[in-house]
Amino acid sequence: MNLTSLLAAVLEQSTPILLAALAAMITLRANILNVAVEGMMLAAAFAAVAVGDWSGSAWPAFLSALVVAVVLSQLLALLTLRFFADFIVAGLGINLLAAGGTLFILERYYNSPGGLRPIAFPDIWHIPAGSLSWLPVLGPAFEGQSVIVLIALVAVPLTYVFLYKTPLGASLRAAGEDEHAARSAGIRIAAMKALSLAISGLLAGLAGAQLAMDKLHFFLPDMTSGRGFIGLAATLFGGGQPWMTAAASFLFGFFGALGDRLQVFAIPSQFVLMLPYVAAIIGLTFARWRILVRNRPARIRDNPQ
Amino acid sequence: MAPALSNFLRVIRAPLAAILLTLALGFLLVASITDEPVRAYRDLLLANFDSLGNFALFLNRATPLTLIALGVVFSFRAGVFNVGGEGQLYAGAVTTTVVAIAGASLPALVLMPLAIIAGFLAGAVVGWIPGVLKVRLAVDEVVTTLMLNIIILLITSWLANQVIRDTTAYGAVSWMVPNSIWLPPLPFVPRATSGFLVAAVLAVVSWIVLFRTQWGAEVRAAGTNLRFAEATGVPAARRVISAMVIAGGLAGLAGALYVLGVGHRFEQNFSPSYGLVGLTCALLARVHPIGSLATALFYAAMLNGAAYMQISTDVPRSLVNLLTGLLVLLMTARLRRAAQAA
Repeated sequence: MNLTSLLAAVLEQSTPILLAALAAMITLRANILNVAVEGMMLAAAFAAVAVGDWSGSAWPAFLSALVVAVVLSQLLALLTLRFFADFIVAGLGINLLAAGGTLFILERYYNSPGGLRPIAFPDIWHIPAGSLSWLPVLGPAFEGQSVIVLIALVAVPLTYVFLYKTPLGASLRAAGEDEHAARSAGIRIAAMKALSLAISGLLAGLAGAQLAMDKLHFFLPDMTSGRGFIGLAATLFGGGQPWMTAAASFLFGFFGALGDRLQVFAIPSQFVLMLPYVAAIIGLTFARWRILVRNRPARIRDNPQ
Repeated sequence: MAPALSNFLRVIRAPLAAILLTLALGFLLVASITDEPVRAYRDLLLANFDSLGNFALFLNRATPLTLIALGVVFSFRAGVFNVGGEGQLYAGAVTTTVVAIAGASLPALVLMPLAIIAGFLAGAVVGWIPGVLKVRLAVDEVVTTLMLNIIILLITSWLANQVIRDTTAYGAVSWMVPNSIWLPPLPFVPRATSGFLVAAVLAVVSWIVLFRTQWGAEVRAAGTNLRFAEATGVPAARRVISAMVIAGGLAGLAGALYVLGVGHRFEQNFSPSYGLVGLTCALLARVHPIGSLATALFYAAMLNGAAYMQISTDVPRSLVNLLTGLLVLLMTARLRRAAQAA
């Protein structure tokens, strides 16, 4: 069934992007441009493979992925909030640290700079084949997907509820929108930012676990290959709203799934892979342009040319 | 003299502390791996000066780093957080290669400046886009430069794989550029590119331009406070854009000189993230042009030294990647807030 296999491919491609996008979204709402999602994903993927190889069971591997990503996010929080490091620079530092650290461990302790391929790797829970056959088209597409795909789909409404329907989420958004006003209202800015980074780490950890544990069961030094940045692009394209961010993630995942199939036609895959980033720039530019147009009467004095 | 010296010491204290802390952490790591950590560290930092060949490779490594760092200096002084060095570098390198291959029949005297200018301009265009978007529409430049990096890398990957691919070679590399337009080697150091001379001279020129001309003063004024600069009659928006054009151009020039001086062809993986390392050098040097030359030299020594260290001891060379991560993570950290006014 062609449509089913395309749907399954889209789901598979979208899940890490969706999780990365939600990770970037939750910090964006606290006014942090989180460029470290990529690094946290990579470290999580490595932790999943290394611990899965060592322990031989899936849940320790899964949990260690989450723990590693959250620890990295809190390291970033410590340096930026406690020691006033720049968010972008320190975030890029996390990426470099994750890439360099995993490569160093591969070379030093596994003696294989090319990657880590355990001979046997524990399987994480997948939806059993045939269990959803009563659902046409969609059911078979979900069969064989890992439990993390389901977690990612649940995470979208969860982040929505958290951000818009809980006091904590409101405080987090307030801290992101106007620091001074939020501080006057008694909100602890640093705590809110650290919390948003922790949630971001959790989601990035899920994304890394999905990359390593779903089908591949191995780790490569650059296996995230920019998915953290595609997620960031999806968040920016979606304007930091959970539903729009999810939609953008699925759109970009669809492009990714399409990219593999478009090679049949004469379109080079690089141009398909480029779409998320171009979309992010255009989307952001358009959003700013609309704000500018809306505010134009008030801005005449401000902008002499 | 004494106040000038103490002023200088105060300025370099924080970056020096970050470097020393990182090196100390690295030393602990190395000591846990090998029995001769001192030997490993000597090779990491000093093996570049063991032979003329090593020294040449060291200068070749320092050239693109210096130029990218200078570009970052221009953009940061203009208040643009430009993390697009990698994309601008690749745009310059690939454009120079394409021009050199397409114009192979032209005389070298015409083709060489043409190829270099094309590389500079390609980087400049990639720098211009985030500059204009930031100044006119307030689009966040971190996002645009990050996204442009990936876009450019994909374009060059397409060019290197499908358009200018050397079909006889292994991997995504272009055809060789005609050897009549290869840069001459540095005098006395046969295998070093004379591009380093260009980078060193441009470091001094950048300092003069930024700190001793009215244009430079206006750029820095615009970078400090755009609206205040506009209010005092400085064409600040235009200055920011032109600073970004120069920033991109310098990174593009780094790519052009790499192709003509070192690689002699475009390789898709030629940069061990020079863009980020160049940014690191510039920030370590407190966004100062001459300081950037110094930090770029230091970093080039470390990047190359790692290979010598791996050969002589069994410390993996990726130690340097790890240390770079630590350094970038630590380098903007402060023990207490410098100014509450931010």
